[in-house]
Amino acid sequence: MTFHDGFLSEMIGRKAVVDTAGRRLAVGRIADFVVEHPNDTFPKIDALVIKSSSGKHLAPIGSIVDFESDGKLILRDVPSRVAPPDDEALYLVEDLFDKQIVDVDGRKVVRINDIEVARTGGALRVVAADIGFGGIVRRLGGGSLGRNLVDRLPRTLIAWDNVAPLHDLNPTQIQLSVSDSRLARLHPSDLAEIIGDLSARDAARVVASLDDETAADALEHLDTETQRSIIDDLGHQRAADIIEEMDSDDAADLLGDLPPEQQERLLSEMDAETAEDLRELVAYDEDTAGGLMTTDYMWIYPHRTVAATIAKIRELAPETEFIYYLYVTDETEKLLGVLSLRTLLLSAPDDLIHTVMTGDVVGVHPDVKATEVASTIARYDLMACPVLDEEGKMLGIVTVDDAIDAIIPERLKKQLPRFTKSHRHERIEHV
Amino acid sequence: MDIRRWWRRALILFAVLGPGFVTASAGNDVGGIATYSAAGAKFGYIVLWTLVPLTVSLIVVQEMAGRMGAVTGQGLAGLIRENFGIRLTFIAMAALFFINTGITATEFAGIAAWAQIFNLSRYIIIPLATVVVFLLVLRLSNKIVERVFVVFSLIYLSYVISGIEAKPDWGAVLHGTLVPTFSPETGFLVTVVGLIGTTISPYMQFFLQSAVVDKGSGPRDLFNVRADIVVGSILGIAIAGFMIIANAATIHQAALINHKPPLDIDSAQAVDFARALEPLAGKFAADLFAFGILNAGLFTATVLPLATAFIICEAFGLEAAVDRRWREAPFFYGLFASGIVLGAGLVLVLPADKLFQFTFYAQVMQGAVLPLELVLMLIIINRKRVMGNYVNTRTVNIIAWATAIVIGGLAIVYVAQSIFGFGS
Repeated sequence: MTFHDGFLSEMIGRKAVVDTAGRRLAVGRIADFVVEHPNDTFPKIDALVIKSSSGKHLAPIGSIVDFESDGKLILRDVPSRVAPPDDEALYLVEDLFDKQIVDVDGRKVVRINDIEVARTGGALRVVAADIGFGGIVRRLGGGSLGRNLVDRLPRTLIAWDNVAPLHDLNPTQIQLSVSDSRLARLHPSDLAEIIGDLSARDAARVVASLDDETAADALEHLDTETQRSIIDDLGHQRAADIIEEMDSDDAADLLGDLPPEQQERLLSEMDAETAEDLRELVAYDEDTAGGLMTTDYMWIYPHRTVAATIAKIRELAPETEFIYYLYVTDETEKLLGVLSLRTLLLSAPDDLIHTVMTGDVVGVHPDVKATEVASTIARYDLMACPVLDEEGKMLGIVTVDDAIDAIIPERLKKQLPRFTKSHRHERIEHV
Repeated sequence: MDIRRWWRRALILFAVLGPGFVTASAGNDVGGIATYSAAGAKFGYIVLWTLVPLTVSLIVVQEMAGRMGAVTGQGLAGLIRENFGIRLTFIAMAALFFINTGITATEFAGIAAWAQIFNLSRYIIIPLATVVVFLLVLRLSNKIVERVFVVFSLIYLSYVISGIEAKPDWGAVLHGTLVPTFSPETGFLVTVVGLIGTTISPYMQFFLQSAVVDKGSGPRDLFNVRADIVVGSILGIAIAGFMIIANAATIHQAALINHKPPLDIDSAQAVDFARALEPLAGKFAADLFAFGILNAGLFTATVLPLATAFIICEAFGLEAAVDRRWREAPFFYGLFASGIVLGAGLVLVLPADKLFQFTFYAQVMQGAVLPLELVLMLIIINRKRVMGNYVNTRTVNIIAWATAIVIGGLAIVYVAQSIFGFGS
């Protein structure tokens, strides 16, 4: 077999012949390529589909004698096995050409224009998807002019291990694990951007394939409309699991936008304590301190030692996002003082908390406007600001990142990921 | 009233006006104004009845596009690519680019007409308008541009005022709307094809479907999508009806009274329409008409090249977004810029007295292409593999196929008529 590296589009339509003692019998033309194990990193092509007037037949890769330079495919014998209509295998042309895929490396949704194959390890393997303009020109068959053009264009190939097909390639095998692990290693905001580019159906499918925590992280970065449509598609059991993993302020925002019955149904699927916290948060207006705050913070009693407190942080930190301030409260949750992680680390292990804490704490009422919370945080150079009720009882905290999100105009927010992205591109170009 | 409170209220109203409304408004573009005005001026109230079956067809066709968007989450171009392969997609996209650039030119022709009415040079106004269109898209955020355009769409209501100010004979309006009448006069057939082409423009289906996808509407939102389409289509066509009425009551009536021959489309000019309104409907109505043309021209000259670039990039899986830089999406910006520059350039090259004729026949061309688009849509929407349980019902299929066949038939008769010269 002398298959060369190349693109599938260059092989489709070539004549297939059977050579018996110098006499050549035309048996049809190459129509498609069959992959039986699509989940391999670089899947092997197992057979070719030969189309003739009598229908589609499979020619196993082993029956190929030669692939001549002038383009004829020489087979050992006439392909006889009829290609089953609902085959479990992946048909590269029918199932992948022109379809959308996620380019995990480029973090975007693209279309497959062509597929590159190469001979490695004695087999013909799928190595890359061509998503560029060159692939389009090649498919359109522009003749020598087209070939010249293709050679001049920059090649835009995605290595196959960076391809995450959107649709279940092989419905009888549970195989989404490949694509979901590829997606799961993306930064949540990049993942969210990809999900935002997908149709509602595909978006829900991708989210469903992620573990709860990754799904929750990605969901936090999406806009409300997209969040809602995904939650609707997931079914309430799974949706509740994912919302539980979200930051409480984001979870409350999402729940607050849902119709009351759906909200109640989702809350009833969660564990009682989380549901209780979320119920309180949902009640606040989105543009106020109450709407921005999270109930996920570190609190301690004043008579503890520094050493015991550090031990407690070690124990709780994995579950708590914001650990840089510790809030000192009494038994009625009344706020007595605050200390930073820095102060804690620099204090002697035997010091008692109430001797090292700052008693003069700036707090806000839950009804205070978001912009006011942000200016309080800015004025006092805080990383978070506690939210207190009339009696000084601690309700939650507003972190600086949530405060920024609340005051930055929508327009700028949309551009922000772009800035970070172009930085990354530039960095790569410099290397 | 407090401006900020007023603004907030207005925003709530816009949020309700969905893609269906915006698309229907885009349908009343310069070509629409020209075609409806010419039809009313030449044939009077008797063409009004064509709007009734057109409304049904428009709703059915737009509903199909909306449903395809909501169910598949893909634009029409993407579906054509996945269902018919790359060659047909390439041909369809080339045709779309060609037609849409022609339509963009008609929008600039409208801006040139406005300049002419106010005695301004089109050689200054057109380049200026080109710069404005670029700035609108590249400098402002999506949200703001969207809102500006929705405010623009509301100005279309001015045609209703013009129509009423023209003091039409309401009995004749009612008769013309309800009783189908065919005129033996020259140009009736081509006018009907033009009316169809401008009312159900091929680009509108692409536009609406992408807008539905962009809004994130899914199958469960179908009721809202449909309601928006029905309301938008009826409002859009009602406004078109008032344009016909305004011109039927003024230009057509005046020609009847003075025993002059009815309007000749091939030598008509936009200025004539505005001036004809003035003595009968007053300067206010005439100025409104002129301002409406400018607004429609700017609106669609911005939306159309942008939408065309988006659609083509979707079909070929190329990077497309206004918030990307030039280097990141070269094809997108290249298509967008060439659409505008070619469209504006064409208007500067064409002789001024041919602009109206050009605009009118561009609509006829849209009418002739529409059946081909409908056939593609009908094939896709009846595939269970694509649409699942949301394939067309028999009624929708019958209406849609009838629309395609009737329009296709009219287009063929028209082409045969202009080649062999029979029947007219």
